Amino acid sequence: MSTKQLKLKIVTPERLVLEEVVDQVSLPTTLGEITVLPDHIPLITGLASGDVVAFANGEQIPMAVVGGFVEIKQNEKGETEVAVLADFAEHIAELSEEKIELAKARAEELRKKMEDKELVDFEHFEAELERSLTRVKIADKWRTRKYRK
Amino acid sequence: MSNSKAIKNRIKSVKSTKKITKAMELVSASKMKRAVASTLASRLYAGYSWEILTSIAKNTENITNPLFNEREVNKILLVLITSNRGLCGAYNAQIIKKALNLLKQKDSKIQIDILSVGKRGDMAMRRVGKNVIASFFEIPDNTTLTDVVPIAKFLVDEYKTGGYDKVLIVYTDFISGLTQKPNIRQILPISKSSIKEALEDLLDKPEQKTDYLFEGDFNMLIETLAEKITRMQIYQMLLESNASEQSSRMVAMKNASEASGEMIDDLTLVFNKARQANITREISEISAGMASVG
Repeated sequence: MSTKQLKLKIVTPERLVLEEVVDQVSLPTTLGEITVLPDHIPLITGLASGDVVAFANGEQIPMAVVGGFVEIKQNEKGETEVAVLADFAEHIAELSEEKIELAKARAEELRKKMEDKELVDFEHFEAELERSLTRVKIADKWRTRKYRK
Repeated sequence: MSNSKAIKNRIKSVKSTKKITKAMELVSASKMKRAVASTLASRLYAGYSWEILTSIAKNTENITNPLFNEREVNKILLVLITSNRGLCGAYNAQIIKKALNLLKQKDSKIQIDILSVGKRGDMAMRRVGKNVIASFFEIPDNTTLTDVVPIAKFLVDEYKTGGYDKVLIVYTDFISGLTQKPNIRQILPISKSSIKEALEDLLDKPEQKTDYLFEGDFNMLIETLAEKITRMQIYQMLLESNASEQSSRMVAMKNASEASGEMIDDLTLVFNKARQANITREISEISAGMASVG
């Protein structure tokens, strides 16, 4: 293919979730959604919770992400590299029905727990809750759409 | 007769001990593998966040965020990472010794308090009468980042509110399956040299000069980045410590299994000798009896 492509990497502290060459990618930043095409200028910005959608060969690759950063730069070879540093990331296909139910239940449980929490644990619960809610939301959004597994 | 029975019992008990130590060895071997794998996996993220941090630091001269600013040190918080359980060789002893040495060296005007992760270190510090302000025992073996959030939050809050002017962490560096080294590192304030030190053995990338565009509130970005880097560092140190703990337990248990194998051999020899002596004595008694009858 002669058209330009960009390198997408999604990393979490626990693992490298995705590394692929794609045509374009849409990211939920703290200031709203942006779409990155090849030759984008170098950019650093915060990442909000939501879905990162990459397009490759006309197919969509959706990933659920929660919080972090996005770094866009040109590497030595002149290719555009997009690094997504998320606290948490998962491919939509990994979010099976069962897991979603689990996440829903967890979110409910956490919400209840939030009422009588200790100060130190609060942050922990908040992060967990956001994670669970994002999973549910993104999974619902993609349930009926077509995407590449 | 009673003697050989006692030896038999002893052999039995040593055998069952050997079974246990062997099992523990295998368990910690597999846990170590996992811990090492997640340590390696987390390095990529650490590398990227460092890259972002350096580019931010290069682009703006003065970062006013308190997490980066050194101030006069009156109170130090020392985070001590040890294991919850024993039977892992010199792992805990080494790290506690390192911490105690540090406590001795510091000038008496500076107050040092302890935050302990793991029961062993907690016990040791309480024994010497140090002020332990918080203890975290609930860190699972397959640590995830969420397990670290409460600790990181606690440290950042204490630092920001001025409760402590410096946060140090004592942990065990996993060098290889056979060598682990206790190490001390500064977490807060984030000093560039210490992060660089933390990463230089992992990455040797040439410095890249890219002018980045920043979107969003710059101070917010720095703040979250600083907090994430702190969290990440603690996470990595926990992983390193965990890998070290498992591997030193593995080695300790291996030695124990070998020692019990040798013990079983020795005891079996003693047992056989006793048995033979018994038989000889019985035969001589019988033949003596026959001679007296005949």
